[in-house]
Amino acid sequence: MKKLLVGFMIAAMAMTLLVGCGSAGDSSQPSTNNGAEGKTDEEKVLNIFTWATYFPDDILKSFTEETGIAINYSNFSTNEEMLSKLETVQGGEYDIVLASDYIVKMAIDKGLVKKLDKAQIPNYDNLDPSYLGNYFDPDNEYTVPYGVGTPLIVYDPSRVDVEIKGYADLWNPALKDSLVLVNDARNILGITLKTMGKSLNEEDSAVLEEAKSKLMELKDNVRVLDYDTPYNKLLEGEATVGYMFTSQAATCLTVNPDLKVVYPEEGLGFGIDAIFTPSNAPHEKNAHAFLNYILQGEVAADIYPQILYLCPNKAAYEFLPEEYTSNSAINIPEENRKDVEFIQVISNEASDLYNSIWTEFVQAVG
Amino acid sequence: MKGKKHTQRRWGSGIYLGVILALMYIPIVLVIVYSFNKQKISAVWGGFSLDWYRVLFHDQQMMGALWNSLKLGISSCLISGVIGTLGAVGMTKGRFRTAGAIESIATLPIMIPEIILGIAFLTFFSFVGIPYGMPAMIIGHCTFCIPYIFINVRTRLLGIDPSIEEAARDLGAGGGRVFWDITLPLIAPGILSGMLLAFAMSLDDVIISFFLAGPTSTTLPVRVYSQLKTAVTPEINALCTLTMGVTFCIVIVSQILGSNKFKRNRREEL
Repeated sequence: MKKLLVGFMIAAMAMTLLVGCGSAGDSSQPSTNNGAEGKTDEEKVLNIFTWATYFPDDILKSFTEETGIAINYSNFSTNEEMLSKLETVQGGEYDIVLASDYIVKMAIDKGLVKKLDKAQIPNYDNLDPSYLGNYFDPDNEYTVPYGVGTPLIVYDPSRVDVEIKGYADLWNPALKDSLVLVNDARNILGITLKTMGKSLNEEDSAVLEEAKSKLMELKDNVRVLDYDTPYNKLLEGEATVGYMFTSQAATCLTVNPDLKVVYPEEGLGFGIDAIFTPSNAPHEKNAHAFLNYILQGEVAADIYPQILYLCPNKAAYEFLPEEYTSNSAINIPEENRKDVEFIQVISNEASDLYNSIWTEFVQAVG
Repeated sequence: MKGKKHTQRRWGSGIYLGVILALMYIPIVLVIVYSFNKQKISAVWGGFSLDWYRVLFHDQQMMGALWNSLKLGISSCLISGVIGTLGAVGMTKGRFRTAGAIESIATLPIMIPEIILGIAFLTFFSFVGIPYGMPAMIIGHCTFCIPYIFINVRTRLLGIDPSIEEAARDLGAGGGRVFWDITLPLIAPGILSGMLLAFAMSLDDVIISFFLAGPTSTTLPVRVYSQLKTAVTPEINALCTLTMGVTFCIVIVSQILGSNKFKRNRREEL
């Protein structure tokens, strides 16, 4: 017993030392080339920071094969986490960050984003101009749009008797206890405002109070609120009508093509997840090489069917597989795409009001 | 009359036990079953398949994250094993006037909400200039792992009859000899169970790991949590199934070893 213990303790110490050294080596690796002077012979490393699997694995692998640049892929789960992390590392450590439009705007305003060098990204011209020049980057200086999405209504026509054309139809008493909605204050209060002819970004407290009473009328129709997996509720049959994000709606259709997608007549909400390079990115050149790589038409055509977001790359259109382009959650008609509105950052007071209304609603739904 | 009451009680406790076990194990069984689901979505059963295990083994990102988690868990539970044990032994041997206060402070990190600890580390490390990454994560994890070992070892120490150590000293053993030959073997089970608990806690942690991670050190829970954005596939179920398989094996092996040792000890006594 004694020998065993002594041996164990020694092994423990040895392991600690080994692991300690190993990890110290790991962490010193990216920092060796932090200086700007290393620009010409950057080490072959690229640090990506975004949601897991948002850049598909096979794309990253083929990029590494082609360029010899190794990829470190680290993850966050919310936009706000990303911003706080990026602030503490002062825009360093990471080379490629992919996050949602409103937070990209905040990062730009805080000076955490570097301007892109378009000369290094000839494939930037492949981007469809209709997805460029948005509020978070009006002159297209900082970002490359990646995942484009719009929340949609999806329903099971075999179990729903009423016709659904827009958000207002969700209030139909015939849909009692049958909705699954994304658990998100801005989106659901947003569509309530839309039914009143207002903006998704309404800040007037009187209007918001009005929206609150309207929203409360919806509570009997709501079966469940689910942010991450609303498609499960619809596919399982627990709910018959859903309001969910693009990729979730598209997922529903790939599993059950008989479901129907509605492009609400009041106008679509819209969101773009965009890529940027932080202000002190250690491997700037590799970041540009990566952007140029994923903007190739054929590469992009490989990405979007995997992530099920709308493709902003016009050079990819001819390569996109039919099963992707025929998905009605993806293939949104031109006329519907004209009337879109982004959910933007609003004043703190308005934001608090949204949250308190939402909390009350969630409690009422139970 | 008495017998009837007794059987009633037995029935009651049987049902109670059954419900508890069902609640604990049905979700786990479902996770395992759905790891063999051909369909990408857990809501629909698409037929039996081992595809997700293949996907899992080819997923470099996932394997990298798993490796990071193991590295972090093992090193922080070993380091805190040493520190926690030394602390508990020192605390029991040396009788400080402030022992009570020190003990409360030492066990505080498991009481503090993780998010506060995470933010505290984030600000402190950036203030002191420690780079984010594996070393920072190990330091962070050690702080909340040490109390588990400390508490376990301390309880164990308090249960030891001081006359055993006194006897060793009477027979001429020095301080070091007493520790290695007498104290350590007696508290070893406490150290081990404390370290297992600490390992489990470290493996579980999302918030502190996220705040302290560098570009190369994403851990498994951070990655899985982050995957909710693009849908969690049965690949995660496959991973859970394998992890549980390994855990069960460890438990069974340790049970067998434990019972053998028990028998052997009994025989020696006889």
